[in-house]
Amino acid sequence: MPGPLEYCIWLVCTLLEGAVVVCAVKSQSFRRYIFLNLYMGLSFLVSVSRYHVLNHYGMASNEYVYFYYYSDTLLTIGLYFALLNLYSLVFDEMQVEGYLRLGAVVLLGGTAWFSYAVVQQSSHRILTHFAYELSQNLYFVGLVLTYALWGAILKLRETRARLIQLVLALGVYFSAFAANYALQNLYFKAGVLRFVTPLLGCILPAAWAYCFLRVSEEDRLVPSRLAAVPR
Amino acid sequence: MSRKLSVILLAMLALVGAMSLKTVVVAHGNGSVIMANGGAPQPPVPWK
Repeated sequence: MPGPLEYCIWLVCTLLEGAVVVCAVKSQSFRRYIFLNLYMGLSFLVSVSRYHVLNHYGMASNEYVYFYYYSDTLLTIGLYFALLNLYSLVFDEMQVEGYLRLGAVVLLGGTAWFSYAVVQQSSHRILTHFAYELSQNLYFVGLVLTYALWGAILKLRETRARLIQLVLALGVYFSAFAANYALQNLYFKAGVLRFVTPLLGCILPAAWAYCFLRVSEEDRLVPSRLAAVPR
Repeated sequence: MSRKLSVILLAMLALVGAMSLKTVVVAHGNGSVIMANGGAPQPPVPWK
């Protein structure tokens, strides 16, 4: 069973997830960032449900294990759509909504097909293994898409501060988990890393809540000055 | 039509990149999993 510190981090993370939706509603941005808010709302509900299942059945129970991995798949799909929401906002002036939708469907379908191809001959619990594999694969797809979006923002010289901060927070979140995974592989016996993973889960809701609370939709970043070349 | 094919190509490239990255990471890992959703304690994987 988790200790008091782990429960405390989990509680903070859950409250921050709820705070994102509250801050978005307060700043009248709920509909504009609808998939981000749906993802955070879903995360909040899943956290509460996981706590209920954990308390009722225990950490080692099949109920908690299966609920955890199925809900994780659901959340990863939610995160994928949140990322697509950011893509559509970055490219909204180019009128490429239809192409983005097509790309998103092809990518999601391709990931699902790849996950199924991996698990179909390797496991007797095919549905659970598929859910787990899809979640892992979508995580890596999200990672690649986030870095591609960073590149697009730089290339397009995006100036909308809120949008940039939302995307940067997502990039930092993915990068932090990747770094944590690398550290776990290097020092897998280090006990402190047990607390780092749930702590990293607080990064995204904290950054998004701050962004909705403090950064207005009209805020613009000053583009970097052009170098004055004397003639 | 060519634009749609370009979008499909880009999506496939992203998929290939992501799966290659995953293969490299998993091949050098110790079997632990990446879970990036929430602060709930992670249970053991049921089929290992």
